Amino acid sequence: MKKLLLTAVLAASPLFAQISAKGEVPYVAFPVKMGQGFDEVQANCLMCHSFGYIINQGKQSKKFWRGKVDKMIVHFKAPINKQSADIVVEYLFEHYGNGKEE
Amino acid sequence: MERRDFFKKAAVTAGAAALGSSTLEAGTTHQPVDNRKPMNVTFPEKRPLIVYSDRPPLLETPREVFTSALTPNDQFFVRWHMPDIPTFIDPDKFTISVNGLVNKELKISLNDLKTKYEQVDVTAVLQCGGNSRSAFTPTAGGIQWGSGAMGCARWRGVRLKDLLDKAGLKKEAAWIGFNGSEKAAYYETPNFIRELKLEELDDHVILAYEMNGEDLPYLNGYPLRLIIPGSYSDSWVKMLSNITVTNEYKKLFFMDIAYRVPDNETEGETPEKKFPKTKPITKMNVKSIIGYPTNGSTLSHKSEVVVRGVAWDDGHGIKKVLVSLDGGKTWKESLLDSGRLGRYAYRAFRFHFKPTGYGKVKIMAKAINNLGHEQPLSKDIPWNHGGYKYNGIDEVTVEVV
Repeated sequence: MKKLLLTAVLAASPLFAQISAKGEVPYVAFPVKMGQGFDEVQANCLMCHSFGYIINQGKQSKKFWRGKVDKMIVHFKAPINKQSADIVVEYLFEHYGNGKEE
Repeated sequence: MERRDFFKKAAVTAGAAALGSSTLEAGTTHQPVDNRKPMNVTFPEKRPLIVYSDRPPLLETPREVFTSALTPNDQFFVRWHMPDIPTFIDPDKFTISVNGLVNKELKISLNDLKTKYEQVDVTAVLQCGGNSRSAFTPTAGGIQWGSGAMGCARWRGVRLKDLLDKAGLKKEAAWIGFNGSEKAAYYETPNFIRELKLEELDDHVILAYEMNGEDLPYLNGYPLRLIIPGSYSDSWVKMLSNITVTNEYKKLFFMDIAYRVPDNETEGETPEKKFPKTKPITKMNVKSIIGYPTNGSTLSHKSEVVVRGVAWDDGHGIKKVLVSLDGGKTWKESLLDSGRLGRYAYRAFRFHFKPTGYGKVKIMAKAINNLGHEQPLSKDIPWNHGGYKYNGIDEVTVEVV
């Protein structure tokens, strides 16, 4: 799991190209659950935000997670295609879901 | 995509929901989450704080810090919106630009700001509009803050008005856009820009480079941020780099969709039936927090206990803070500090009592401002979809042994 997390950081590292000693923000290894669809989550969600954003929401319905992914696409213009979005929603519901559709 | 499209999309989702189960929950409100502990990770210039995210950084101040009217810089909360925050800014090369509908465009260095303009101080509360969002069920959109997405500091800088006067506003000037240096991962993502109406900007609005006598901490917006006393912090743009004067309002995500509440009298709605019209959160409502003792702590029987905390509003000023030890049946007035930090600052309060019994005691605090507005019980606060503006009567439960 550590290895996967590290890959996630590296994938996001171009965003921190300007890093210098002064403002270096530490990396926090949030306890992320591995499972089907994790690659899509890594590729699509971590570009903009850490796993903290996901974990902090608590266990939620499928509708809730669908709404979050929609928000990222509609408002924040994340280039996530429909297939990937579906996989991400499934992953979120599987691991951070409350078992309810809505 | 236009806002209308969003609503269309939202309507589709809601439609799908209606076909599903019939266990729709009503919105309820309760005490915010209060069991999170600082993480043993240090962010630049900060002591360990409650960590929600490292990228963008989201850090909350623990409750026990709120016993005095000023919040230390190294424990002050942090909230950014975008993942890419410049990590190096050369103070000798930094400039703030003023452009748009002005007679003379300006590019002012930090040194010129500090030496060629009148220096002013204002002590003001900086509070996220979503502070205490975890009080709302079902989960309202956004970071599930406890009660520490706030702080109070003495800010030093120059008046926005002085800069605008120097640049000279053209007759048609009506809006001022502020943007900071944080950047999104994708070019298409809307930038974090705020637009404020010229007529709503008074002399208290400043561009601050100093916080509690020190340079602004990096994570609180070094080298320069906007200070709008009385308003929620969504407009207090950090790492401010550009000020543009325009004659009309431009549609912006962070203005038009985020940071808004239902535009009705109670500012409430239900999860199933969201209120169609919204308004910006703007001014803060009256609120108080108990800093000592904290939930779950132990007090000694017959000891001299001094309950301490802070109270604030949008600048009308705190009239009194009442404390109850019997579940809200009776209230007694606490002792307020002198108020010399000004009407936009926290008022620190203290309340002495001697626990004569044993077992659990619930301590409640309720602030009342000069307009007579008082904090409601949390259960009486209507739910709203963004989880904004929670200001319920604070409660901590302690054990007397």
